[in-house]
Amino acid sequence: MSNDYGLLQDLKVLWRSGALTFVLARRDVAARYAGSAGGVLWAYVPPLLTVACYFLVFDVVFGMRLGDKAPVERVGTYLIVGMLPWMAFCDALSRAATSLVDAGGLLQKNALPPVVFPARSVLASAAVFAPLMLALVPAYLPWHHFSTALLALPALVVLQWLLCFVLGYLVAIFTAAMRDAAHLLGLALSLGVFLSPVLFPVALFPETWRWVLWINPMTGPILGYQSVLLKGEWPPAAVWMALLLWMGVAATLLEVAVRRSREQLVDWL
Amino acid sequence: MSAQSGKLQVLQVDGVSKEYRLYASARDRLKALVTGKPYHRSHWALRDVTFKLGRGECLGVVGNNGAGKSSLLKLLAGTLLPTQGKLERAGRVTAILELGAGFHPDFTGRENLYFAGNIIGIPAPEMRRLEPEIVAFSELGEALERPVKTYSSGMVVRLAFALVTAVQPDLLIIDEALAVGDQHFQKKCVDRIDAFRRNGCTILFCSHSLYHVRQLCDRALWLDGGVVKALGDTESVLAAYEKHVRMQEQTKEAAIVAVASAMASNSVQPDSRSAACIVSVALDGLGLGEPPLLESEDLVVHIEVFSPQGAPPSIGVMLEQAQGVGIDSVATHADGVLPKSLGAGRWRSTLTFSRLPLHTGEYVVSAYLFDGQGLVVFEEWRRYLTFRVMRPSLTPGLVRLEHNWS
Repeated sequence: MSNDYGLLQDLKVLWRSGALTFVLARRDVAARYAGSAGGVLWAYVPPLLTVACYFLVFDVVFGMRLGDKAPVERVGTYLIVGMLPWMAFCDALSRAATSLVDAGGLLQKNALPPVVFPARSVLASAAVFAPLMLALVPAYLPWHHFSTALLALPALVVLQWLLCFVLGYLVAIFTAAMRDAAHLLGLALSLGVFLSPVLFPVALFPETWRWVLWINPMTGPILGYQSVLLKGEWPPAAVWMALLLWMGVAATLLEVAVRRSREQLVDWL
Repeated sequence: MSAQSGKLQVLQVDGVSKEYRLYASARDRLKALVTGKPYHRSHWALRDVTFKLGRGECLGVVGNNGAGKSSLLKLLAGTLLPTQGKLERAGRVTAILELGAGFHPDFTGRENLYFAGNIIGIPAPEMRRLEPEIVAFSELGEALERPVKTYSSGMVVRLAFALVTAVQPDLLIIDEALAVGDQHFQKKCVDRIDAFRRNGCTILFCSHSLYHVRQLCDRALWLDGGVVKALGDTESVLAAYEKHVRMQEQTKEAAIVAVASAMASNSVQPDSRSAACIVSVALDGLGLGEPPLLESEDLVVHIEVFSPQGAPPSIGVMLEQAQGVGIDSVATHADGVLPKSLGAGRWRSTLTFSRLPLHTGEYVVSAYLFDGQGLVVFEEWRRYLTFRVMRPSLTPGLVRLEHNWS
């Protein structure tokens, strides 16, 4: 039974359940803010507040500057480009990680494919963060001058969320097997920001230790965003290579996890 | 089993087994996931179950707790996957497993209706068409605009039932769902399921109520320890199952009878409540002793009931050996008679078994109150009255059958 069912079949099922996934995602966001007057608008407040703080504190009040090696001088301007995608990554991944366990009741009572739940969590997260990330395009006009490199931006955004889905589904299966997985993920995400070019430009890291940054799956996309938005340049090949490598590794692991858990997954929830 | 050849196959279960893997800890589960090696004890909830259901057939699933009934229903509903074997279902499958499980308390009844509709495969445009009918059936009215957290549990169940049965399925799977809501709504539910059945919907029905299985199902499946113990026409399967249960319980019987009769004497309720209930059950001609001796030749049972609905209810009586087998059961709806109306919702029937043909022994009477068609059990007073019969006889037996020698 479990031998002929893998990730590919799961993706086909997901494709067929597209409308359902969409409804679930909308409901997921709505349920988070049910009963509040602000409703879904509350979802946009934390990221917007962070962006506003970085800008006001670093650029307006203190006027801090990065060294020559940085792609841009202003600290706030630099931080926002990396921090927004990183926050999106954390949000999507941590929501996807608990998505299966949270949907346990629903899955045990209804004949639904489990794969739609991590997909809906990632989709719900994208609905909040993707518009914010695309809103950076007009805001960063003085730096990228509408360069053609902006065409890389949608590709980066889509790839980032695909990676989120694959990693999120993987962690969700592990969380179903052992709840500790979600906590470990939280720990990894709070440390991960230091293993990335979000806070400091790559050039400021000691050269012998720079490879460590690539352990973080988001290093590639963040470098990509920085080069497109801050310099108006196409992302270097390393960015795409890192993304594809991570995608391949995560998909392989997911394939194994899906095969081994498929039949009993709902029992674990 | 080949009786339904020619009928359209709706469900085909082919050697289906379900294994639950029991891990000592979550750590073992993780180890199994990472290494792919077994770290579990196996529990086979179902082993090699095979049967087919044609269009319009109704199968009752019976068995003790832990026999695998729920696992079978979940497999058929598609929430669980079989470990071995194949399961083929044709057409729309609706499962009434747990009503109202997916509702979010902060959303209104209508929002929940549309969301839950998506989950069970009714997209929004179709839901807009079905909505008036669902609202009418659930009798929620204005309450539909209120958050579900303000609903009573009965209202939640009504909305959920109205939703899942809004579209007639090809296969309906019911897990003990006949006991939903108040009596009035229960009756509506049973009527709707009965209408589905008459329209050719295939039904798989799992219940501890053998009475309902008898009423609704033309075939029955008896599961015991995950294997099919019997499969065939309802009467023969239930007879075998009842015999098995009786043998199993014979040892505990005495204790259970004591408890049951104690409970029965406590459960005499005032008739002021609005739900249908049995008011009194009495036997004529009882004498002294414990249990009392039946002194008259006839057995006369007076039953008075209360039923707030206008239509006359049906009254049933079952006669059993105190320590053994059932002897007979009768009901007004089955015999085509109506109880006498006493006004104000009260009804009375008097049942007479003339020249009661029983041998010496202890017997027990149970009383039942049904709706007019005998589909909904409003109340039952199980093993309510025990009495003794003394008939000097030289030969042993249970019933003195009419006979002649020639």
